[in-house]
Amino acid sequence: MSFLVLENIKKSFGQVQVVKDFNMAIEKGEFVSFLGPSGCGKTTVLRMIAGFEAPSDGTVVINGKNQNRLKTNQRNIGMVFQAYALFPNMNVFDNVAFGLKVAGKPKSEIETRVKEMLELIHLEHLADRYPYQLSGGQQQRVALARALAPKPQVLLLDEPLSALDAKIRVSLREEIRQIQSRLGITTVFVTHDQEEALSISDRIVVMNAGRADQIGTPSEIYNRPATRFVASFVGTLNIIEAAVVDPAANTIKVGENVVKLREPVGALKGGDKLSIALRPEAGSLSDNAKGDTSLTGKVTSSHFLGSVIRTKIDVGGNQISFDMFNAPDAVMPQAGETVTLRFNASDFLIVRE
Amino acid sequence: MKTSKILAWIAIAIGLIYFFVPLIGTFEFSLRMRRGEYSLDAYQSVFSDMQFRETFGFSMLMALFTIIFGMLLVVPTAYWVRLRLPQMRPVVEFITLMPLVIPAIVIVFGYLRLYNSSSWLPFTGSTQGTNALLVLSYITLSLPYMYRSVDTAMRAIDVRTLTEAAEILGAKWPTIMFRCIFPNVMSGVLSGAFITFAIVMGEFTMAALLNRPAFGPYLQLVGANKAYEPSALAIIAFAVTWLSMGLIQLVSRFSKLAPSRP
Repeated sequence: MSFLVLENIKKSFGQVQVVKDFNMAIEKGEFVSFLGPSGCGKTTVLRMIAGFEAPSDGTVVINGKNQNRLKTNQRNIGMVFQAYALFPNMNVFDNVAFGLKVAGKPKSEIETRVKEMLELIHLEHLADRYPYQLSGGQQQRVALARALAPKPQVLLLDEPLSALDAKIRVSLREEIRQIQSRLGITTVFVTHDQEEALSISDRIVVMNAGRADQIGTPSEIYNRPATRFVASFVGTLNIIEAAVVDPAANTIKVGENVVKLREPVGALKGGDKLSIALRPEAGSLSDNAKGDTSLTGKVTSSHFLGSVIRTKIDVGGNQISFDMFNAPDAVMPQAGETVTLRFNASDFLIVRE
Repeated sequence: MKTSKILAWIAIAIGLIYFFVPLIGTFEFSLRMRRGEYSLDAYQSVFSDMQFRETFGFSMLMALFTIIFGMLLVVPTAYWVRLRLPQMRPVVEFITLMPLVIPAIVIVFGYLRLYNSSSWLPFTGSTQGTNALLVLSYITLSLPYMYRSVDTAMRAIDVRTLTEAAEILGAKWPTIMFRCIFPNVMSGVLSGAFITFAIVMGEFTMAALLNRPAFGPYLQLVGANKAYEPSALAIIAFAVTWLSMGLIQLVSRFSKLAPSRP
């Protein structure tokens, strides 16, 4: 049986249902991210695991034990908050020791464990400092050490990197993942940042309007989005409006281009409209590029973005964004130029609602 | 210098003269007890008066009780309103402002009617009971200041997240309250405490009508019967108030408990 199980979880605030029949099974030691826009219910699910909110229906099971009747302080869960939430009246040592003191651990054990935790986050030299004497990144590392000190069965991370600047965010997320892997602690991470979720998760739950639209590995989520919402939220997908030409041959028409899809169009008939998705990094503009299919269109704009050149191509009224890596011999397409984008038919995804 | 700046300085000068001239006059008069020369005789007379010491001590004791019980009422209330009952904020704000609107004499007559010796809760039937009633009435009087100073201190820390952080680390309510919340609103608690102290030390109506030997009625008694001592007492009362205000400033300036914020 999975270590953390969320069964048919529902949550309503008054008339508004913010979580609708949420199901998820997380294995021991797994790092799972809840990804979604503000108001999609991801934090509410996290708060129900923590016990800050009671589910309107459904059960939260950790290590085979139903948590619904347990109070927050009885669940043995660690949590890191977006706003750090360090106790301002306590120094770093006392903050990390708080959970252990509350649990009534002996003084020697507390000292050993706190030192161990401070070494883990490389802040042993700041044990006497107060939170206001630390930078945002340091405060969040202390918050992580404080959450881990009592050896919780699950670690919850509620957008812990949102308040930090870009550089610290990247280094801290790598550090969090490293610590999590080393300790093997089951972790649930809430974020609205797709890059964060894609880079550190074993699995991602993409949430939309209180439901899990898709649960999968970062690669599955990025390369095989299950719904239009997932496709539009994760990465920058081109959504192209097309029409079915021959359902038996799986051919569709985009502008004047007839393209053969790898994926079956299903029950659609000839002339029916459908949406297909294409990643900006799929394909090439080079004449001798490999690829079994192509789209021809007119360049509307081209921008140099450092490592990437982003070109917008108009194909039958669809604005397709195309990214190519910057290379010394790369030629920037000019606006008004007619170009042919070559790619594999398997790069096309049929977008389902 | 611009005309507006000159006018501003004139306004400040008028304000300062209006405030300080009577005070300087009072202070100067308090030094004239000995004919033909300045002396501290009036202060000596006041400090050697047994009644001064008794009433001052009594008021200080009452102020101490008022601060302790007032804070035990106000801190959990402000905390609860912030955490669980934000919709009750306007109601609580209104209640805490009532003592500013209702005159003290009306409140004390209400108390005497409700808690007299023949009522169901005869506070005034005994000395200790009357003292307790006096403390309760002082808590009422200082409620607007105490509540606001504590509430402002709570606004500076993220009460909800701190509570949740403590809770998930296994803490129960008494631990959360006394180890995580109280120490972090201490600057507000102390500000409220000093202002309460200043109010209680100078309060007259409640103490006089409840017939308790407090410092306020003593000031009035001395004022009616002596010449120089009332001036010395006025200066002492001012000094007590200023000391309290200075301590409020000191507490808020040197409070190192800055909130941990992103």
